[in-house]
Amino acid sequence: MSQPMIQTQELTKVYGDITAVDHLNLTVNEGEIFGFLGPNGAGKTTTILLLLGLSTPTSGTAMVSGYDVVKNSKEVRKIAGNLPELAGYYEDLTAKQYLDYIGQLNDLPRTEREKRITDLLADVGLTKWKDTKVEKFSRGMKQRLGIAQVLIKNPKIVFFDEPTIGLDPEGTKELRDLIFRLNRDRGLTVFLSSHLLHEVQLTCSRVGIIRQGKLEETATVEDLTKGLTGKEVKSIEFKLKKVTPELLKELKGLEGVTSVTEENDRLYVYMTEDNTEGVSETITKHGAIILLMKPREYTLEEVFMKYYEGFKGR
Amino acid sequence: MAGIFTVCRKELSDHFGSKRYLILFALILLLSAVSAYQGAEYIKNNPRAGFLAIFSGARFGFSFVQLMVFFGPIVGLALGFDAINKERTSGTLSVLLSQPIFRDSVINGKFLAGAMALATLTVSTIGIMCGVVIPILGFGPTLEEALSIVLLSSLTILYLAFWLSLGVLFSVLTKKTSTSTLASVATWLFCSMMIPMLAMLIANQLVPFPIELRPGNQTQRNPQQLTPEFQALMEKRSVIQSSISKLSPTQLYSEVASSILGATLGGGGFSSAFRAPTLTESVTASWPNVVAIAVGLVVCFAASYMSFIRSEIRPGG
Repeated sequence: MSQPMIQTQELTKVYGDITAVDHLNLTVNEGEIFGFLGPNGAGKTTTILLLLGLSTPTSGTAMVSGYDVVKNSKEVRKIAGNLPELAGYYEDLTAKQYLDYIGQLNDLPRTEREKRITDLLADVGLTKWKDTKVEKFSRGMKQRLGIAQVLIKNPKIVFFDEPTIGLDPEGTKELRDLIFRLNRDRGLTVFLSSHLLHEVQLTCSRVGIIRQGKLEETATVEDLTKGLTGKEVKSIEFKLKKVTPELLKELKGLEGVTSVTEENDRLYVYMTEDNTEGVSETITKHGAIILLMKPREYTLEEVFMKYYEGFKGR
Repeated sequence: MAGIFTVCRKELSDHFGSKRYLILFALILLLSAVSAYQGAEYIKNNPRAGFLAIFSGARFGFSFVQLMVFFGPIVGLALGFDAINKERTSGTLSVLLSQPIFRDSVINGKFLAGAMALATLTVSTIGIMCGVVIPILGFGPTLEEALSIVLLSSLTILYLAFWLSLGVLFSVLTKKTSTSTLASVATWLFCSMMIPMLAMLIANQLVPFPIELRPGNQTQRNPQQLTPEFQALMEKRSVIQSSISKLSPTQLYSEVASSILGATLGGGGFSSAFRAPTLTESVTASWPNVVAIAVGLVVCFAASYMSFIRSEIRPGG
C-alpha cells in the first residue's frame, strides 16, 4: 500500500462544450476492487480512457502504478488490462489466434505466449472452443474471451467497463467469482465501472460515485449505506395476518412512529427512534399474527436513488 | 517497432484470407492472362512488336495497362477503405490500442500490409503473364525488356499504393464504412470516367473542330485535308486534353506505363514518330508523372497518419 495504484489530480476532459470528466480526484489502492458507479453518460468510460492514455486530458494529471498516463502511456498499457464496454473481437480469428495476436502485441515470447493462452483458455472455460472462430461465439463466451485477453499480459490492474452488460445471471455470477479469484490469488487491483448498483455492492470493496463528470463520494460499501441510512428513519417490514384499521390507527399513534404504509401484503412501519417492542406488542394485542418481521435494509440502489434525489432537490 | 510488424502480419494474413482480396486477385489475374494471350497473338502478327507488347497490345478487351488504369483504383481503395473505421465501429480499436503499442504502429502496419498485398498481386500477375506468353512465343524478354518489366511492376505497385493510401485516408476521416465505400466508388468513377470526359469537353470548347470536320460531315474527310494547320489543331487539342487528364492519377500512370513499354498512346488518333524511345529516355520523360503519383501517396498517407494520431478514442468507439 506504499503507493496508490491509481491517483488522479484535478483530472478534466472536455469534449466541445461538454465536460465529460470534471476535476476528478480519485485514489485507488493496490489490491482493491474499486467500483466506479454512475448513471449512463456520467464520465465513467472517459475516465478509463484517460487512465489508459487512449484519450488526452484537457487538464490535470493521472498516475497509474506510478506512471504518468500522458508521458508514459505505453508503460501504463503494459501493466493495465482493459475490457471496454461492448468490446469488439476480430470475428475471423479463432479464440486461440485472437489471444495470440494480443499476446504478440504485448511482446510475449512464443513459448510463454502459448503457455499462457492454454492456461487462460482453461481458466475461462474456452479450451473446447479454442479453434472456433469468434463469430460463432455467444455473448457470454465473447466476454470470457475478453477477460482472457485482458489477463494475457499478466496485468497489475484491470479495467472492466460495464462488464456484465448483456450477460445472463449465471454469466454475471461467473464473472464476479472470477474477479474475486483474481483479486485474491494474484492480488490484482480491479477497477470496475458499472451502473448496476447491486453488482457493485456484491463485488466491490470500495465505491466511487460519479455524476456529470464529478466524483461525488468515495466510501466503502458499508459506510456508504450506513452514512445514508443513518440519517434516515428506522423501518421494519412485516407480513401480517388479520390487519384491522384499528391496528393501523393505533400503530400510527405509537411513540416514535412516523408513518405506516401498506404495500401488497407487506406493512412498513417507519420510526424516528427504535420502538420495535411497542410495535410488536401492539400488533399481538390486536390479535394479528406475525408471519414475517425484519428490519428493512437499504439496497445500494435505494441509497443511490436517495442520493440522487438529494441532487434533484438542489 | 514490434507493434508495426505484429499488426502488419495480422493484417496481411487477413488480406490473403479475405474474399474481397481473393476475388479482386482472381479477376485481375484472369483478365491479365487473357490480355497476355491476346498480346502474344499481336506479337505473332506484328514482327516489329517486342515482347513488351504483351502488356499493351490487346485487340479485344483490356491490356494490362488499361486494366490497371480502370480497375487499379478499385483494387487499391478496396484494401484500404475500411482499415480504421471498421475497427472503430466494431469496437476492436479500443482493445487494440489498449495494448502497449504506439498508435502509429496500427496505421503504419495496416498500410504496410496493404502495400505488400498489392505488391504480391502485381508481381504475381505480371509473372503469370510472362509465364503464359513465353511458351506461346518461344522467346523471352531481352535484358532491357526485363528491366522495363521490373520498372512497370514498381510503377504499378506505387500507383496501387497511392489508391490504398487514399482508401486509408477515407477510413480515417469517416466514421462509417458505408460512407467510405461511397467516397471510394465516387473517387474511382470521377478519376476514371469524369476527368477524361471533362478533358474532352474542355478541349472541344477551347479548340473547336472546323465546321467541315465535325462528326456527321465524315464524307468530306479525305487524306488531303491533313494539312499542317489541321495537324497543329489536333496537336493543340491533344495537349489540352492530356494536361487536364493529368489531374487523374490514372492518366499519369497510363502515360508512364506506355512510355516504359515504348508504346505510343492513341491520344488524338495519330502518332508522329514510331521510333521506340530507349528506356532511359522514357524514364527521364516520365519522371514528373512518377513524382506526382508519389507525392499524392505521401500526402494522403501523411494526412491519414496525422488525423489518426490526433483522433480521440471516445466512449462508444
